[in-house]
Amino acid sequence: MSERITLSVNGVRRTVPCTGNERLLDILRDSLDLTGTKEGCGYGACGSCTVVVNGEAVKACTLRGKEKLEGIEVLTIEGLAAPEGNLHPIQQAFLRAGAVQCGFCTPGFIMRLYALYKNNPLATADEIKEALSENLCRCTGYEAIWEAALLAQELLKGTRVT
Amino acid sequence: MEFRYVGKTFERTDGYAKVTGAAQYVADLKLPRMLHARILRPEFAHARIQSIDTSEAERSEGVVKVVTGKDYPIVFAAAGFYDQSPFAVDKVRHGGEPVAAVIADTLDHATKALPKIKVVYEPLPVLLDPMEAARSKDVLIHERLGEYRHFGSYFPEPGTNIFHHYRLRKGDIEKGFKAADVSVEGEFEFSLSAHSALEPHGAICRWEGKDRVEIWASTQAPFALQQVVADMFGLPHAQVRVHVSYLGGGFGGKSDVTIEPMVACVARAVPGVAVRYICSRKEVMTSTVLGRGMKARARLGARKNGAFTAFQAQLYFSDGAYGDAAANVVTVAGHNCVGPYSIEHCHVDSYGVYTNTPPVGAYRGYGHPEGCFISERLVDMMARKLSLSPLDLRRKNFLSEGRRNSLGETIRDHNGDLFKCLQNVEKELFTRPKPGEDERYLYGRGVASMMKSPKGAPNASSCCQIKFCSDGSVHVNLGGIEMGQGAQQAMRQIAAEALRLPPDRVSVFREVDTQHSPWEWQTVASMFTYRGGNAILKTAEKAIRLLKENAATVLRVLADDLDYDGESVFLKTDPDRKVAVKDLARGYMYENGLTVGEVAEATAGDRIPGYVEPDPKFGMGTAGGTWTFGCQGCELRVDKKTGEVIIDQFISSFDVGRVISPQMIRGQMVGGVVMGIGQTLKEKIEFSEQGKITNATWVRYKMPRIHDIPKKQTVIFVETPEKRGPFGARCVAEHPMVAVAPTILNALYDATGHEFSRVPVLPKDILEVLQ
Repeated sequence: MSERITLSVNGVRRTVPCTGNERLLDILRDSLDLTGTKEGCGYGACGSCTVVVNGEAVKACTLRGKEKLEGIEVLTIEGLAAPEGNLHPIQQAFLRAGAVQCGFCTPGFIMRLYALYKNNPLATADEIKEALSENLCRCTGYEAIWEAALLAQELLKGTRVT
Repeated sequence: MEFRYVGKTFERTDGYAKVTGAAQYVADLKLPRMLHARILRPEFAHARIQSIDTSEAERSEGVVKVVTGKDYPIVFAAAGFYDQSPFAVDKVRHGGEPVAAVIADTLDHATKALPKIKVVYEPLPVLLDPMEAARSKDVLIHERLGEYRHFGSYFPEPGTNIFHHYRLRKGDIEKGFKAADVSVEGEFEFSLSAHSALEPHGAICRWEGKDRVEIWASTQAPFALQQVVADMFGLPHAQVRVHVSYLGGGFGGKSDVTIEPMVACVARAVPGVAVRYICSRKEVMTSTVLGRGMKARARLGARKNGAFTAFQAQLYFSDGAYGDAAANVVTVAGHNCVGPYSIEHCHVDSYGVYTNTPPVGAYRGYGHPEGCFISERLVDMMARKLSLSPLDLRRKNFLSEGRRNSLGETIRDHNGDLFKCLQNVEKELFTRPKPGEDERYLYGRGVASMMKSPKGAPNASSCCQIKFCSDGSVHVNLGGIEMGQGAQQAMRQIAAEALRLPPDRVSVFREVDTQHSPWEWQTVASMFTYRGGNAILKTAEKAIRLLKENAATVLRVLADDLDYDGESVFLKTDPDRKVAVKDLARGYMYENGLTVGEVAEATAGDRIPGYVEPDPKFGMGTAGGTWTFGCQGCELRVDKKTGEVIIDQFISSFDVGRVISPQMIRGQMVGGVVMGIGQTLKEKIEFSEQGKITNATWVRYKMPRIHDIPKKQTVIFVETPEKRGPFGARCVAEHPMVAVAPTILNALYDATGHEFSRVPVLPKDILEVLQ
């Protein structure tokens, strides 16, 4: 634990003692107790650990070391709902569409869509599908996740109100 | 009957926790001073262990202890076949077996110490193929099979690798084939595959001295685990406490006891301190359980008019190094490979065979997908031979009122309506013309039918506790595991209906804990809504009775003259004479404090009555007890250039008795179909000749992603109320996966004219037959 990494997580500056070789996933889960970010495979195949880093969706298991982590801005699933507990439209859409089953892949899918819509609010169906194809779900058969993604886009654009 | 809450969609009980990251799974838990374990796996799939030297690893930084099989020569079983130990002792029998464990202060230190353990092996010949292993007399994976303790429902063949032989002998098979005008036969193969729940298996274990232990585990079966661990160490069962928080998917892969006995042994070496072990993704695939793995030969006979007369099959399962988790799958596949048909003469031999591969366990469908694959391919082949419509041929032979299944059980109308299910599929699939072949694609349509009955211990039960709070709201507690299927939500809706309370006044259990939860056999076999729902109905009746008795004292009337509406208990003949439920919940307190009556807490359980193990000689008996029937169909196209299959529409129709929660049941259907598509067109565990899994990663083991799903999924429910089911509901969850493989393969025949008989069918297999 001879190193320190300073990064911004969910809007709060955090300095974490570490070896300097940790993955972002380890920093979030082990050092900061942000266990909403899940580890499904550990090599970027499942997307369960997807978080938003400097505005882009990133698999937190693939980002390793002080050099890559120092100074980054991270948004995790814990930082998405409003401080008083009101859900973000993407979270609402997941509940309404029935896109949550076991819930293990859910944070990763939600963060993936958050980054997509932040950068591209008018993403086309193909672009949404492309983004979602980065993540694995074993329960839902993707139908409800797809519906949630479309509903979330409408909620965010304001073409549909909750 | 008018329902207030059953049949409607509500937000899931666990939804908020899951979309905010607050839901805790086993890997999210931390205990004070917690240590970490890593496990050494062998270099060989079959070898004798000559020596293990742990001295260097013990001196490694941060290492607290190194544990090997010599420390724990314990044999355990969860299903009654005592053939495995928590660690390999003298021999390793598959490549993922635990050989030793390092306990260290950090995961990193444990990982660094692992290669410092020196093991000398004497490699032995490796058996991978179940038919070859069944014939082998020289290479035995368990030399002492004949000495193993086991329940009377298993039939090992000592001196061979066959640890269980289930035999079904119904009627006279020779007579059956003599009566047939035609017969069809085939060989079938269902590859080993991986459940691949997103959450890896994990366990945390802490001993309180040597006599009491607590385990936090990713399990569908905490009470089975409690029993196994207690028996391993000779403890009273009540001294083992198992906690299950949220479970990130199960699909049966977390119902068998796998890593937990090992973790219990590891933690026993450091009493008072918790030890945590979470599988890597690779270890989930190499070192927990796999599913399926069947090779079979089968034959079906029929008269010219299409009436089936005889069915004969031999099934060989590559069940891996240990048989405890697989033995019942072998039996069930034998029960059900006959299909949902009435056939007078059935002769089935289903063999559980040891191979040098990871053990097979429960996997969504539990032997039914394997069995259904056989019957539904044969029925389509028979239809062609007789020039009959495959739908009409099915209808002619379907199980229905008064007909008997392969086990000799008589099916009644209230058990479900296959004809309606098939009609729904037919209407969706065949009312428009099939597209003709074009430059790029061949088009095909296929159907298949299925049945599924649960397989459980004959005493398998669900239990419920209900307690009224002093504001009239209610706690409903059961021991079923929420693994994504919506167990809590189904229970909440059934309880709300039974207690006539809005769902937001009904709090259902979250964590299951063997110390505080009522007994639940296991959350398997799609039984929880059925059995847990019944347990709620019985318990609600008892709890309401207590309220009525309390009110009877207060109102000075008979309890039988009172009624209950969720808000109050009142006199049937004079509803204005009433007492509020909140004033009855903990007995009734008069103004001066004098309290009369009982606390309104009740408990009750439910099991399928009359359920028995199959008869040892004929393999028949009441081993189903309840069935769910259904049909599936699909329209697909085959890319002539790439061999890829695109599913344009997939239709499922099941007789579920009663829909409890529309959103959740559709989730089960649609998700199960996609899992089945993965199994049929993509997923296969591959081995090197030495028995090493060569695709134990999610990079090389391909599962469906969003672009692999059908363009359209149609789900149509038939609701023939089941006499014994809660509000008529019957079991459904595994079911949508059962008939997917034959549905697709029947459609592939329609598209290509080729009888595929192996699952998965990969693009290269299709290209091969197209050329």
